[in-house]
Amino acid sequence: MADEPGHDLPPAPPVAAAQQLAAEGEVAIGAPPAGIPGQERSERVRRVIVYVLLFFVSLLFFIPFFWSVTTSLKTLPESVGFDLLPDNPSIRAYRSALSAYDFDRYFLNSVFLASVVTLSTLFLASLGGYAFARLRFPGREVLFFLVLATLMIPNELRLVPVFQMLIDFPVAHVNLLGTYQGYFVINLVTATSLFLMRQYFLTIPKDYEEAAKLDGAGYFKTYWRVMLPLAGPALAAVTILTFQGTWNDFFWPLIIFLGDETKYTLPLGIFQFRTQFYTQWPELMAASVIAIVPIALIYVFFQRYFVAGVTAAGVKG
Amino acid sequence: MATVAKTRRATLGRESVREALVGYAFVALPIASFLIFFMYPLANAFYISYFDWGALGKIESVGLRNYRDLLDDFLFGKALKNTLRYALIVVPAQMALGLGLAVIVNQALRFRTFFRAAFYFPAVAGSIAITAVAAYILSADGLLNAGISGVRGSEYNHPWFGSSDTALESIMALNVWTTSGTMMLFYLASLQSIPTDVYEAAAIDGAGPWRTFWKVTFPLLKPGHFFVAVVSVIGALQVFDQAFFVSAGSGGPNYSTMTIVLYLYNTAIEGFRFGYASALGIVLFAIIVVPTLILRLLFGRAEVS
Repeated sequence: MADEPGHDLPPAPPVAAAQQLAAEGEVAIGAPPAGIPGQERSERVRRVIVYVLLFFVSLLFFIPFFWSVTTSLKTLPESVGFDLLPDNPSIRAYRSALSAYDFDRYFLNSVFLASVVTLSTLFLASLGGYAFARLRFPGREVLFFLVLATLMIPNELRLVPVFQMLIDFPVAHVNLLGTYQGYFVINLVTATSLFLMRQYFLTIPKDYEEAAKLDGAGYFKTYWRVMLPLAGPALAAVTILTFQGTWNDFFWPLIIFLGDETKYTLPLGIFQFRTQFYTQWPELMAASVIAIVPIALIYVFFQRYFVAGVTAAGVKG
Repeated sequence: MATVAKTRRATLGRESVREALVGYAFVALPIASFLIFFMYPLANAFYISYFDWGALGKIESVGLRNYRDLLDDFLFGKALKNTLRYALIVVPAQMALGLGLAVIVNQALRFRTFFRAAFYFPAVAGSIAITAVAAYILSADGLLNAGISGVRGSEYNHPWFGSSDTALESIMALNVWTTSGTMMLFYLASLQSIPTDVYEAAAIDGAGPWRTFWKVTFPLLKPGHFFVAVVSVIGALQVFDQAFFVSAGSGGPNYSTMTIVLYLYNTAIEGFRFGYASALGIVLFAIIVVPTLILRLLFGRAEVS
């Protein structure tokens, strides 16, 4: 970065701070310096207050999830009562959600969509990010500015033009509405991911590539064999960000797949189920748990990459 | 000598042409995708908004009539008012809660990582799954009303999402709860960039934790406040999923959950009024672009610290 002054925008904060956080862990505000009289007692009081507060706030964050899980294990009559735990916990609601109400299909659709979009984003964002970080070509700054500019265009503004484009795709004149291809083609890659990859590549010392160059490696080989293996944390952040974003996406699947139940994703399936079977709570909660658990698992295992990814995404509420 | 220099220059020239060509090839697909699905739609939205445009295509050019019609549109007014009211309450609430949580998990506590994970968790779970859980808990015979009944000692059966007095407020509460974890992460990154010797200096001056927070931490977080505020405003103005879910797309009851994006969706996808919907999208874009530009320009250059 240092050898090209003026060319590179510094990372959009708090991207840098978050990347550092992900890389180095965090510093806590430690205990105040020792030897100040009267500090100890007030410190202890403060600690008790903080823990009590934390306990209640955590409860507030956990009760809804706890309640949805226990309800999903209850029977319908039981679900309108308020026993903390079901008398006879059963996975009946899960079975009926998965088989009778097609949530098995919606689950597979979600997995399929999220996987394809994540793979294509990983490849295109890293390849493009590498080019923007390392290769010199005329118009590079202008093109990179274009990437950043797309971050300013909200989904809603694109709704009508993209919808029309999908109905009658330019040049090819095919109708992509209601097809997986329609979803994939508008979600090939995101500016956020490309930006994140580029920023990360800029931090990698050039020595590695020079060595590869001396060995006679071409640009693609350098990208594939040298740069990608060094970009683990950034690739992890992009993977999580994209997978989670697609898994939870409601807006575009609604626009593209509404009406064709064989293509519904979990959020669409949950919406439809709620509209049709208003108060079948155990099944609705089972479906919600099915939608939440995979992301929760990924979150538990890869927490630090979530932090980097989310802070980079910024605008996504 | 001269020939050697010349050949080297020639090789270098060929090499840089090759490098440029490879560069273009590597960015070709992303750039094409951004041009086709972002830049072209942006321009096209302006174009479409000048027409009366139905399901079967252009009907006639109407100039700025779509925009003028928005001014007298009762539903648009309602949606605009709801969205602004939503933002006015959700933004400060999210900021306050996000800051509070960040300050808490920034302390040297046991289980710090666990608490942080817990607070951020609702933001990880998808909006629709979470709204389904909320619909259950806030239903007429749901957990919240059971709690209220217990405290009051008498039956309480208010349908929170089903009553026009409380539907939007319930969505506000839901989203403050789910997104404050994200705001916490932003604030945490910002808090982490405050050097610890500032706190040591405050402690030596004898400032208590309360005073230290208001006199030292809070002012030093100014760029953080700004970033969180802008992100929060942009998110709030685009609220859609929850409103769509609880009202089954209608914006009911009595249009109390009609937001700008929900109205845009209904106008375009349900009503096939593409010209009018595009005008609506442009107006929303105009409202959002100001905070977005501020975010990108200011924070594209400066560090949160």
